[in-house]
Amino acid sequence: MRWLGHLLVATVALLVALPFVWMAYAAFIPPEAVFSGDIFGQLGFSLANFEVLGRGGFWEGFWGRLLFSVLLTGGVTLLQLTTGFLAAYAIKEGTKILPFFLVLLAIPVELLLVPLYGLLVGLKILDTLWALVLPFAASPFIVYLLFQGMRTVPEELLEAARLDGAGHRVLLTRILLPLLRPQLIAAGVLAFAAHWNLVLYPRIVAGSKELKTVQTWITDLQRQNPADWGPLSAAALAATLPLVIIYLLYERRIVETFEEGLKG
Amino acid sequence: MGRNNAYWFALPAVALLGLFLLYPFLDVLRFSTWDWSGLSEPKVIGLENYRNILRDPDFYNSLRITLIFGVMTLIPFVILSILLALALDGQPYERPIKALLFLPGLVTLGGATVAWYTLFSPEYGALASVLPVPRWDQSPFWALVLIMLFTIWRHIGYGVLVVSARLKAIPKTLLEAAAVDGATASQAFRYITLPLLRPAITFLVVIGTVLTLQGYTAVFLLTRGGPFGGTEVLGYYLYKTGFEVGRLGYAAALTVIILLLTLAFALAQARLLREEK
Repeated sequence: MRWLGHLLVATVALLVALPFVWMAYAAFIPPEAVFSGDIFGQLGFSLANFEVLGRGGFWEGFWGRLLFSVLLTGGVTLLQLTTGFLAAYAIKEGTKILPFFLVLLAIPVELLLVPLYGLLVGLKILDTLWALVLPFAASPFIVYLLFQGMRTVPEELLEAARLDGAGHRVLLTRILLPLLRPQLIAAGVLAFAAHWNLVLYPRIVAGSKELKTVQTWITDLQRQNPADWGPLSAAALAATLPLVIIYLLYERRIVETFEEGLKG
Repeated sequence: MGRNNAYWFALPAVALLGLFLLYPFLDVLRFSTWDWSGLSEPKVIGLENYRNILRDPDFYNSLRITLIFGVMTLIPFVILSILLALALDGQPYERPIKALLFLPGLVTLGGATVAWYTLFSPEYGALASVLPVPRWDQSPFWALVLIMLFTIWRHIGYGVLVVSARLKAIPKTLLEAAAVDGATASQAFRYITLPLLRPAITFLVVIGTVLTLQGYTAVFLLTRGGPFGGTEVLGYYLYKTGFEVGRLGYAAALTVIILLLTLAFALAQARLLREEK
């Protein structure tokens, strides 16, 4: 029986890894190999695909879009962590609004495309940077994760600091911020991935050239040139690598945070 | 309420979520009574949109496809999650493999679909030069299989994590006692492990149903509803009517119906799986 388990794990692991391996391989395929159709025959290594990505203006080309997306999603992540951290602190200090966030957790964001669009039209921020930022500036999931972390901080510690005359600001920045570092990192990676992976929403609410995210850019390229694998794979790899690296750095924290969340 | 006015710190989150999550969620009811393209002046038409949906053959077709897709995806997803969690439990490679399985859910969706697309394209795809790849660009069935594989690929890490967390909560003494009493490994699994895993399985089935009823990003990226509308799941039908055809009022009414369907399914499943105990 045991070897059957090993076999299952090995098979699944290989299949799960296959698209990643292929992505890394295809990004460096020499363009000739793609056109001749002989993909595995002549092993070659070429950076030509990455050069193609740099064509056109910088800001509207791939690298500009990648930079824009990193800054945008990074900013949104910081906002989410800030609003979440403050809200978690309020709950920890006795404000009874945890149920409010738990109810919001059940609302499927993916289905709110139509009413959100209507709201953005009403607020006159459709097709502006705000449309990509404001709806994601707070997240009930992040509030919940950070509150779970704050619950483990002993009350006596905060009480002692308060007796020494510490105000909200000292408690938040000197005590809770360093203690919650692991949770903030895990929540940050998850928040980053969630915003980074929006596909349909940015396409609908912010379609203009200077607001295009890297996802939209890749999807557009795939639609225009579905056969042009080399540059497509290079773009896919370059857009995926930052996330993979962040994930591998903090993988232990992220998986553990998820497991803790499942126990609650 | 609270000490030292700490409740003020919740204000940014509460205000933002109230405006951009709770309000749209309730507002969708109002939009659903409109005849509205997003650009035009809205015209109030009462329940007309709902009446039209109930007579809309495309809606029923899309509902049928969604249900087929849901069953096709959920059963292998849950079974694979259980088998993998069991196979991984306590093995030296448990941590790295779990980390690998979790990765597809986080990486760039657009990039992942590019890899899948170039890998699995029939005729010209990378795999097609090694082994025959079914024509999912012509056969709705194989297109659904492709979306199913992609969906499982993205979420299997989470599924394994859910089962595995539950598995670790089962006291080892229970299984040892069973072994002492002469139970075989398969008996112990059938009568001890499996019943104790039930909450995790219920959770996966309910979450999985919600995701399959509402998810459509993979469809958008891989098949765009084709071939011949064969992968047009409800979520994608909603997106298409709202933002490609430009009938936002109709799409709002569809949103309400999908929400109600999700709620009904989730409640029914939760009850069914609990009663079987």
